[in-house]
Amino acid sequence: MKINKIATAIGFTLVLSAAANAGVLPQSQTQSQWYESAQTTLATKQSQAQEEQLTKAKNVILFVGDGMGVSTLTAARILAGQRDGQLGEEGLLSFEAFPYSAQVKTYNVDAQTPDSAGTMTAMASGVKTDVGVIGVNENIQRGDCSTVFGNELITTTELAEIKGLATGVISTARITHATPAATYAKSADRNWEDVSDMPEGAVTAGCEDIASQLVNFEKNLEARFLGTDVDGIDVVMGGGRRHFLPKDATFNSADAMSEVEGDRTDERDLTAEWQANYPDGQYVMDKAGFEAISADTKQVLALFNESHMQYEADRENDIAGEPSLSEMTEKAINILDNNEKGFFLTVESGRIDHAHHAGNAYNALNDTIEFAKAVQAAVDNTNPEETLILVTADHSHVFTIAGYPKRGNPILGKVVAVGKEDPSLAADGMPYTTVGYANGLGFRDLGDETNADAAYLEGPNVGRHDLTTIDTTRAGFHQEATVPLGSETHAGEDITLHAKGPGAQLAQGVVEQNVVFHLVNQALELIKQ
Amino acid sequence: MKSIILSMVLLSPFASAVECKADNQYLQASYKVSEQTSQKLPKNEQSFTLWRTPRQVAQQSEQLVELWRQLSNQQIRPIRYFTQAKRGIEYQPSEVKGSQDFSSKYQLVSDQLLAKMQLQSEQGEGCDKKQRYYLKQADTVIEVVWLSNQQLVESMQVNTANYSRITSLQSVSFNKQTVLEQFANWDKYQTTDYADIGDNESDPFLAKMINLGFVEHGATGFYDTNGKALKSNHHHH
Repeated sequence: MKINKIATAIGFTLVLSAAANAGVLPQSQTQSQWYESAQTTLATKQSQAQEEQLTKAKNVILFVGDGMGVSTLTAARILAGQRDGQLGEEGLLSFEAFPYSAQVKTYNVDAQTPDSAGTMTAMASGVKTDVGVIGVNENIQRGDCSTVFGNELITTTELAEIKGLATGVISTARITHATPAATYAKSADRNWEDVSDMPEGAVTAGCEDIASQLVNFEKNLEARFLGTDVDGIDVVMGGGRRHFLPKDATFNSADAMSEVEGDRTDERDLTAEWQANYPDGQYVMDKAGFEAISADTKQVLALFNESHMQYEADRENDIAGEPSLSEMTEKAINILDNNEKGFFLTVESGRIDHAHHAGNAYNALNDTIEFAKAVQAAVDNTNPEETLILVTADHSHVFTIAGYPKRGNPILGKVVAVGKEDPSLAADGMPYTTVGYANGLGFRDLGDETNADAAYLEGPNVGRHDLTTIDTTRAGFHQEATVPLGSETHAGEDITLHAKGPGAQLAQGVVEQNVVFHLVNQALELIKQ
Repeated sequence: MKSIILSMVLLSPFASAVECKADNQYLQASYKVSEQTSQKLPKNEQSFTLWRTPRQVAQQSEQLVELWRQLSNQQIRPIRYFTQAKRGIEYQPSEVKGSQDFSSKYQLVSDQLLAKMQLQSEQGEGCDKKQRYYLKQADTVIEVVWLSNQQLVESMQVNTANYSRITSLQSVSFNKQTVLEQFANWDKYQTTDYADIGDNESDPFLAKMINLGFVEHGATGFYDTNGKALKSNHHHH
């Protein structure tokens, strides 16, 4: 193959070059651990370049860390390493060891700093669109139902269904939230999660709420493509029961947080409708129900929480119990891989974003570490020669790693300079943390609180605070911020894409976010059908 | 207090403590809050209404309602309703120590604070049973008149050298239907999980939350274990 010849030639040249320099460099340099490990990395890359480059995959798994910017990756990998007793900086999150990666531009058609609706629509449909809208192109007028018709986009999940693949969508956010919704729904507003969220005019004009679109996915897709016969999304797991249940306390689940759990004002119980559509499927709402799902289950609808699922650190406080993201990922793969044609699965860690919005680095990093475990679970439960795994984010956050802390300094701690034992002091005479936020609510010391959202009970408290006696590494510490806002914001810089498996080698360079769809489509040959 | 008009026609002074508590589970109580920070300044007067069902309590001021619901695991889930906008913001239950004392919200004064106070006198029977409590801590003096079998504050006075605050019951009723209707009315408001606010900058109501924090606040009626008034927020405009 042409590619192989070129790769061999490049490899040969590098070997010659290394040989030519070997005598020039002192032993202290060539025998350095840094030098040797870099040589090993290079040899691995050369070996990869010479391997046969598969381009077509049987399965694709798309992982999305919501709000997981580059600084989040760096800090999470350091925290993971430090929890394992290492210095931290030298390690990698599971997916950072993937052989290919790209830098991704996230802006929306109408926004420099994007939101999840526009970004995930780009990844799911191959077309960039406006902020706040789901599964429709830029000709949409946000909130105007009449502009939906004719501007709908077809997603990878829909195309995979039409091709006969098994499909799944998992999220720790509400399953009707922007990122998971963009895999299956078309909506003029990301907030139309159930009928009670929509203006009356939109309902009467024929727009369907997002939860209803999930339950009617099969029917709607078959209506859009007359003559096709699909079997619906096989695995759906996440939070958001409120949007599936009628506003009637008699429908409350065991761990309802509101007096009336359901929000729907049309008296529909979508969980019952889903069960009627899929009599062999299993609807579950707690950890016990999740654990009872066997790998030969045909279809699953799992709604573990009234709103978003818990932060990973807060799961034990859930009344009915919830599985982790890695447990959901493994379970989903074990069900989806029963389809001999293959599968397409989307997995979102939705609460990295929420922890950052709350200005709480602990939960953002802890959920990122759990996200990396979920990716590893996918690697461990799939055949690398037939499964393309893509790992990316939708956007970044205004989360910074700053100051001059020494190597191995606790990433959630105060800055201690190289060669020092005590925290460095700023010009105001007070210590400062390595990680922080450019805007948001700012400082809180909530001790061992594991729910980042507890910060919202009080207004912004930005600027400097004396952290001398405060343990900033605890779960309830919220970092200082500069600009006072009720919620920390997204950031506009690029994010990363990591790829492994057939077609992964196409993930290179600086790309627009909508390229993700085309990578999936290329590997699964979705639009060739 | 003579000025208090207690519409307790359904509550018998001969009722047992248990019967009295069972009869007043659905409650609507109006309070006046009079605050003075300096003798030279006029008193600041506000009012609020306390609403209760067995597992929910709400404090309603002119434009803001703060509601707490006790969950089956004893955590407390807060919701803030903005009556003018007919919108609500939902918060997650917190494990923060001190914020889990439902009694401080349900009764306006926590069981813990009452336990620390000195019982000075007691009079009446059944639903009319009234206790007077007193506590002096450093320069702060707290006096509570407590309708113990109704779990209701008749008056609470907090005095320091430069500050005084009197919270006094103006009227109370126990119409279950009215109370349930009021909670159902708030429940109809469109609500947003605060975790979603950061993703909703284009919604004018939520954008106000993002940019300004809370711009309205109620007459605080709740007190922590030290008798300190719990602020509804720290960001006043």
